[in-house]
This record gives sequence, structure tokens and C-alpha cells, in this order.
Amino acid sequence: MKNSAKTLEFKFERTIPASPGEVFDGWLNPKIPGNPWNMAEKLLLNPKVDGFFYWHIKGISHYGRFTEMERAARMQHTWVSPNTLGQESMVTLTFKKQGEDTLLTLVHSDLPDHELARSHEKGWAYFLDLFPEQFGNNPRKKK
Amino acid sequence: MLVMDQLTDVLIAISHPTRRAIIGHLSQGPARFLDVAKPFDTALNAVTKHLKLLERAGLIERRKQGREVYISLRGEPLREVAGWLHEYERFWNERLDQFEQYFRDKKKKEKKQ
Repeated sequence: MKNSAKTLEFKFERTIPASPGEVFDGWLNPKIPGNPWNMAEKLLLNPKVDGFFYWHIKGISHYGRFTEMERAARMQHTWVSPNTLGQESMVTLTFKKQGEDTLLTLVHSDLPDHELARSHEKGWAYFLDLFPEQFGNNPRKKK
Repeated sequence: MLVMDQLTDVLIAISHPTRRAIIGHLSQGPARFLDVAKPFDTALNAVTKHLKLLERAGLIERRKQGREVYISLRGEPLREVAGWLHEYERFWNERLDQFEQYFRDKKKKEKKQ
């Protein structure tokens, strides 16, 4: 996790046993489990540059606009929800061939840092240092 | 799950260096009040106030054992706070795990055929 003064950024990586093209297409197919569009109660998806999406699940609506779309290589879209406090955050996906697999990297950036968290910055810093030691934080595949 | 007021209580509790030091001490195991207070150059009354704040946040509990009262750390509120802080971290990890699993299952099926 990268934490600047005003925004947060999370980066994730997964090695997917399929070609970059299959993984790219799979990410945009609402029928495939794990992509954001799967299990939507209501979905409008127009995956092209300047196309919009509307995704509603469990009473929460998410909106965004695709800003980059390069098949089998890169995809970027904005992401707005109550959890971003109404501000535009950015989701960037890259697809890199690794032998027969694809390295999928997802970066969710420009997430607003919560005022409550900022006001307790020192407490967080301590807590985040303490927590992995005491409770066995599992960073899994997060990089 | 922590509601916002409880979350605020936990954040306030861990925002003070003395209370963080108490949490650090108790993370090594339950301790008696005087043992908790010993490292601090403050009045016992002040330590009592810190403990009350930690207790209100659900971060510690007191247990009577014979004549002694032992104070121990409760980790659950800290775990919940971590979950709240990393909402998107959890969200994407769950999603990506499912996505990866879908392709692994697909590949297994293809190999069997």
C-alpha cells in the first residue's frame, strides 16, 4: 500500500494460467467470477475509451469511465462509489505474458484518504506496525 | 462488525502514546494493574483513565483471578479496524482470487478432456 498525504494506492498481482487476450476478455465478461462486473444486480457496461459503466450491488452503486483500452495489454477506468467519498479514483490493469501464463497487475489509485484516518495518523502508523506482529497479517499476493 | 462510534473509540484509544505502550505491553500477555502502570512516569490515576478508554474501545478486558485483577488485550477490534481501513484491499483480493481460480479450474477441465 502506498499512502500519500491525500490519497491511497493499492497494487495487486496475480498469475493467471491463460493468454493475455483470454484474461483481458475474461475481465470484461460479466459471466466470469472475480471481475468487478460479475454478480451485479444491475449492470451497464460499455468497455471502450470514454464508455461508461454502472454497477449496482448490495445497495451500492459504482460508476466509472473507461480511459484506456488496449486489448491484451492495458485497461484503465475511473471508479466512483460512496467508498471513494464521491471522488474519482483510478483502476489500472496491465496484462503481461509470462510463458503460458499472464501476469495480471491491478492498481487502484487516487483513493481518498479518510479524514478520520488522517486525524489519527500517528495512531495508524503505530497500529500498522504492531498489527502484523501480533495478529499475523497475511500480505498474500499483494505487492 | 464495528459501527462508526466504536471505530472512533478504537482510533481514539490507539492515538495516544501511553495507550499504545499499554497495548504493546499487554500484547505479551495479561498483566496486573501495577505491572501495567510500572513503566510510566505518571500518576496511577492517569493510567486508570487510559485503561478506561481502552476498555471502552473493547481493546482490553479485566479478569479477577483470586485476589488479583488481570488485564488482557482483545485483538478483535484491531482486526476489524484493519478491515475497515483496507476495504478496497480486501475487495480486490477476493475478486482476483475468484478470477484466478476460474482460469485454474478451466485449465484443469481442458486437460481432462
